[in-house]
Amino acid sequence: MGYLNNSVVTVDAILTKKGRELLARGDGSFNITQFALADDEIDYTLYNPDHASGSAFYGQAIENMPLLEAFPDETQVMKYKLSTLPRGTSKLPLLEAGYASISLRQGAALAITPQTLNYLGATSTFEAGGYTATIADARVLSNFSGVGVNTEEADNLNSQTTLGTNVSKTVIGTSINLTATTVNTLFGTRSSLQTTITLIGRDSGARVNIPVTITKVNI
Amino acid sequence: MSYRRFDNDDIVVSADSITSPAWSNNAVTLSTYVTSSQAATDSGKYYYHVYNTGSSDQEIQFAIAYGHRLGSGSGLYDASIKGKSYSSTVYGQFRTLINGDEDTDFSFLESGTPTTPASVHFISIQRSRFKEKILPGSILLSLSGSAGDLKLTDNSTTETTDSFVDAGRVYSLYSGSAAGTVISTTIEYGKVYPDVGLIALNTDKLVADNFMGAVNVTSNYTTVDGKETCLSSLQSGSGFSLRADETLSSNFIFVRARNSEFNYSTNPSNITGSGELRHSTMIDNPQSYISQVGLYNDSNDLLAVAKLSTPLLKDFTKEALVRIKLDY
Repeated sequence: MGYLNNSVVTVDAILTKKGRELLARGDGSFNITQFALADDEIDYTLYNPDHASGSAFYGQAIENMPLLEAFPDETQVMKYKLSTLPRGTSKLPLLEAGYASISLRQGAALAITPQTLNYLGATSTFEAGGYTATIADARVLSNFSGVGVNTEEADNLNSQTTLGTNVSKTVIGTSINLTATTVNTLFGTRSSLQTTITLIGRDSGARVNIPVTITKVNI
Repeated sequence: MSYRRFDNDDIVVSADSITSPAWSNNAVTLSTYVTSSQAATDSGKYYYHVYNTGSSDQEIQFAIAYGHRLGSGSGLYDASIKGKSYSSTVYGQFRTLINGDEDTDFSFLESGTPTTPASVHFISIQRSRFKEKILPGSILLSLSGSAGDLKLTDNSTTETTDSFVDAGRVYSLYSGSAAGTVISTTIEYGKVYPDVGLIALNTDKLVADNFMGAVNVTSNYTTVDGKETCLSSLQSGSGFSLRADETLSSNFIFVRARNSEFNYSTNPSNITGSGELRHSTMIDNPQSYISQVGLYNDSNDLLAVAKLSTPLLKDFTKEALVRIKLDY
């Protein structure tokens, strides 16, 4: 007779850049209320359903891999979230933004209206809860706002301002509006600025990352 | 759904007391006192910083100051105004800080009778060294004079109740054989105020018993002022043991993933370009591997992230419980 394994996995968490910003703000926005799980770094092509030793060994290569430490940049972690879906699901939700990449000239505006594919039995749908959009460097846009979701949570988030540093900014909406910055000094000697926008379906968890390029036009 | 709300009992705050050696390099006992040349500086007229070494990686361990109730033993601010000197400033500063009252002078017990010495030396431990508070019962301060060696320790281990002044708890310093082990309570040679990292020494009694050289209380500021005598006695004693005590508050967050949750992954390596699962065996028996946990607020801002050391398998037959420790 052996002892039952009653161990609990214990890990240390680090604050993200955004977490530190909200903690410093001291307005109550640093309030942990929910969690998500992700499997960044995992390569599912290592899963081997043909393993000669049987199904207990299909995931052997994944289960034994070492993992890197956490990054404090909130845009570089928790990329691929785990979802709760009905058993038997064969197609996972995908997010379609209509753009593989975005290029804007200084001062130009664009609206993104994402859709979710393979969700709730529909080939394509607009999620009722809307979409979360995160710009990795808030300085490159003079306007970054979400419209179409009229909840207190969305209103609070969309009205927050982030000034001065290259921290991210997150908004909520069914449609996301962005306007490229007209500030020349941000460019320095460069002719363009690069960042990314991450769109996440708030109901499905589907995610897409879109590169953004802002081109200087000497305004 | 990718987010799950915490229940009320999933987040708990734990406060733990952490004790550690006070001095640099985790040394329990400081045996070298280096002051370099501070006497000529403005701050040197009030106090000396004491370093652990004379080399380039030296760090301040504590400061030593001399206070005199009537202003003797140091230079005057103005030669024509008696009693207003660096030593009277030091005495008044610590009197206000510790007693919270300009009329309550420092007093020490001699055979049960309170006495009020004119001279008091103050040892102010550097904040980074004592962290939050001095650990009572950890002090062993060695002095040496013409009468021989004297080891002082606090009586916190034998006191049944704590005494308080305006600066928090206060314990008496008596002669002892080891940290926390008092030999005699006849003479109170000093007091320790652990909550503010301060030690006050009964200089008049230490001088009278020849454990410290006499302070020249009649002359004005010279190169041999009140601080030097205490420093010399400390250097001859060559031993100051101390431990720091601090309370670390941690948030413990229990992340519970039930068997029916978080079994599908949106990882690009797990799905094809059209969203189909890469491995057909996963349609009825999906498997995901947890590598990190994200902690969010109501606005879905990622506030903190925790990484596991190895991936944790999750499927419809398994539940996961991850305890996350978050310090800030």
